[in-house]
Amino acid sequence: MLTRRHVLLGGSVASMLASSAISQGAYPTKPITLIVSYAAGGGTDAIARIFAQRLETVLNGRVVVENRPGAAANLGTEAVAAAAPDGYTLLIGNQGPMVVNPHLFRRLRSDPATTLDPIALIADAGLIVVVGPRLPVATLGDLVREAKNRQLVYGSAGNASASHLAALLLGQVAQFNARHVPYRGAGPALNDLVGGHIDFMVTTIPSAVGLIEGRQLTALAVTTEARFPSLPNVPTAQEAGVAGYTASAWYGLLGPRGLPAAIRDRLESATREALRDSTVLARLSDDGAIPSRKGAREFAEFMSGERERWGQIVRAANITLE
Amino acid sequence: MGDVIGNLGLGFSVALTLKNVALCFLGCLIGTLVGVLPGVGPVATIAILLPITMSLDPIGALIMLAGIYYGAQYGGSTTAILVNIPGEATAVVTALDGHQMARNGEAGLALGLAAIGSFIAGTIATLLIAALAAPMTKLGLLFGPSEYFALMIMGLVFAVVLARGSVLKAVAMIVFGVLLSCVGTDLETGRERLTFGVHHLYDGIEFVVIAMGLFGFAEILKNIADPEKRDVVRARIGRLLPTAAEIRGNLAPILRGTALGSVLGILPGNGAILAPFASYAIEKRVSRQPETFGKGAQAGVAGPESANNAGAQTSFIPLLTLGLPPNAVMALMVGAMLIQGIVPGPQVIDRNPQLFWGLIASMWIGNVMLLIINLPLIGIWVRLLAVPYRLLFPAIVLFCCIGVYSLSNDATAVLMTGLFGLIGYALYRLDFEPAPLALGFVLGKLLEEKLRQALIISNGDPTTFVGSPISASLLGLAVFALALSLLPRVRRGRDTAFKES
Repeated sequence: MLTRRHVLLGGSVASMLASSAISQGAYPTKPITLIVSYAAGGGTDAIARIFAQRLETVLNGRVVVENRPGAAANLGTEAVAAAAPDGYTLLIGNQGPMVVNPHLFRRLRSDPATTLDPIALIADAGLIVVVGPRLPVATLGDLVREAKNRQLVYGSAGNASASHLAALLLGQVAQFNARHVPYRGAGPALNDLVGGHIDFMVTTIPSAVGLIEGRQLTALAVTTEARFPSLPNVPTAQEAGVAGYTASAWYGLLGPRGLPAAIRDRLESATREALRDSTVLARLSDDGAIPSRKGAREFAEFMSGERERWGQIVRAANITLE
Repeated sequence: MGDVIGNLGLGFSVALTLKNVALCFLGCLIGTLVGVLPGVGPVATIAILLPITMSLDPIGALIMLAGIYYGAQYGGSTTAILVNIPGEATAVVTALDGHQMARNGEAGLALGLAAIGSFIAGTIATLLIAALAAPMTKLGLLFGPSEYFALMIMGLVFAVVLARGSVLKAVAMIVFGVLLSCVGTDLETGRERLTFGVHHLYDGIEFVVIAMGLFGFAEILKNIADPEKRDVVRARIGRLLPTAAEIRGNLAPILRGTALGSVLGILPGNGAILAPFASYAIEKRVSRQPETFGKGAQAGVAGPESANNAGAQTSFIPLLTLGLPPNAVMALMVGAMLIQGIVPGPQVIDRNPQLFWGLIASMWIGNVMLLIINLPLIGIWVRLLAVPYRLLFPAIVLFCCIGVYSLSNDATAVLMTGLFGLIGYALYRLDFEPAPLALGFVLGKLLEEKLRQALIISNGDPTTFVGSPISASLLGLAVFALALSLLPRVRRGRDTAFKES
């Protein structure tokens, strides 16, 4: 609650300063740097580049994507937190560094909740529960039954990744305990799943959709609340008999704390407009993501809710803190 | 077989359109130039060019990006041979004997052998992908964590062979390399290891940082400290192209390298990076004159270069048949396919046969392009050696810095490269070889990762490593190789082999 009041208070002070200093329409006058906390080529990078391209048209200015990977994506957060809050340095923030890392790192140099201003949620990306040849089950219910029978082995894209936490959550909700095998990224883990070396995985939709269509993997359920448009035959977890299981990886736009309200509002409406573009929508859908309608305030609320939720899972699973 | 020919016919009809040939040429040219610049890798280049490819059609975009990839693989060996600075991580091995050949006045010959070896390897790998993509995919899938671990152990045993000097020192360097690979977060628990609270070490050390420091910066320090040695290379340039007899003489190493590279290239987690190391080790083992290795042995250039190129090409197999990228460049290719609205996966071959076969055909065209681009360029590259060192050195340092910075847009990486340059110079003065360290580093990451994954899967049961026929035979082979090198007779032979002139 305190966190949210901070956001709102900071916003209103900044807006008073801004309305006198900056006139509407004078932004942007120089290129905007959009920082991605991951190396080029990943899912977050793909979303950022598609979004940046559309944002350029909407804002009528240059938007340059800059990759700042490192330190479990904390370096990107730090870079934006340290930048001037003038709207020329922005961040594509996702679930991991925004709401999970604060629970994992005791010595976090910049906590997103106090050093960043949320601008808008861009998209919500669902995950999917898949099995390979080692566990030939057809439904999520079968998987749960099997998992209660004997200890299954699941792979993930890495320790405390969305894919790891979503599998942990599945175990908590469906009340089973499975062994976790961390990999460096979803690719090698999926390779071992297809090869029959591990039992199941909860992974991002684009990483698995080709393998599902090619019948190398079986999709048991999507973790979103509704079925996914490009996979109409795959039930939700609720429909598959595991009620109350939802999880998603999300992407949002944030800036350094103290963003002038005029600029924040401009970016918020520009994001909304960019998300109406049909090519952006098609690309988001390819990436398994559903465009969001959440503006600055709703995004801030959503973030503190997510932070609470994943914090409980991290604590319950006793993931080691550094 | 008729199918393969028909499919390749389809592929060539797609790849041989004027536009696609031009894109292939452009990609190979950009790739070669990028590869020659030390440290500036294909990952950064492809990432920068990715938005441009959005305006191309899918097959054109992929052909150009693939061209950049193998162009960079090839270009990386040019600087390795000429100035002993591997432009690409995979060119570390090429520097060993390639640069010695340059010192012996055979720079052109080394570059020519590398180009021709790469071409032969590329041609065979293309045919392999066309004919055997499906069974090779299955082979890749057989390698789970325990099989992969056994392969790494075998790699470690072979690593000892890389050494030119004392075996004890080589082992020390391998262990040092493995230790360096432990820096960063523990994969399983997320705890920091050996980071000393330094934030930038959290994700571990980049291989490029180590390679550029130990080989690039250290080489320059070496040359500045020792002005007499460096003039040796400048004095003699020699013949530019290998003779037919020399190509015939190196055909066996080229074919062995191709076979190794083709198999290792399909393994997940960048197994291709092992290929040149393995090829070098094997060539030295089977050579009738192992004492020439490290002093400019032609097979020590031809084998690893072929392995490198074959591996670069077969690493497309998991991408094309499963949609799973085995390395960072392939991950970018997935991005490029998604941008074009193609979902990579097993269904691509049925749904987009033009794209699948067109890309494969373009690989071979790309190899021809590389030969066309590089053979005439050899004369120009060799002339670079005549550039005065007071101009060449600052330029190399500058390019190394740009390359390292482009990895993560982070100046700390450049500072770390400088530190490794000093370490590399100290190692040189103390007569330690940096190549086993590089291999130890590469193997170390995978070794630990696969060991722990295998043990989690088996619930702590170590018999998992001898349970599968593949890992059992790989471990057996490693033990056999170790025993062989400990036998007195063979060992005496090797001691002579290792003796410095």
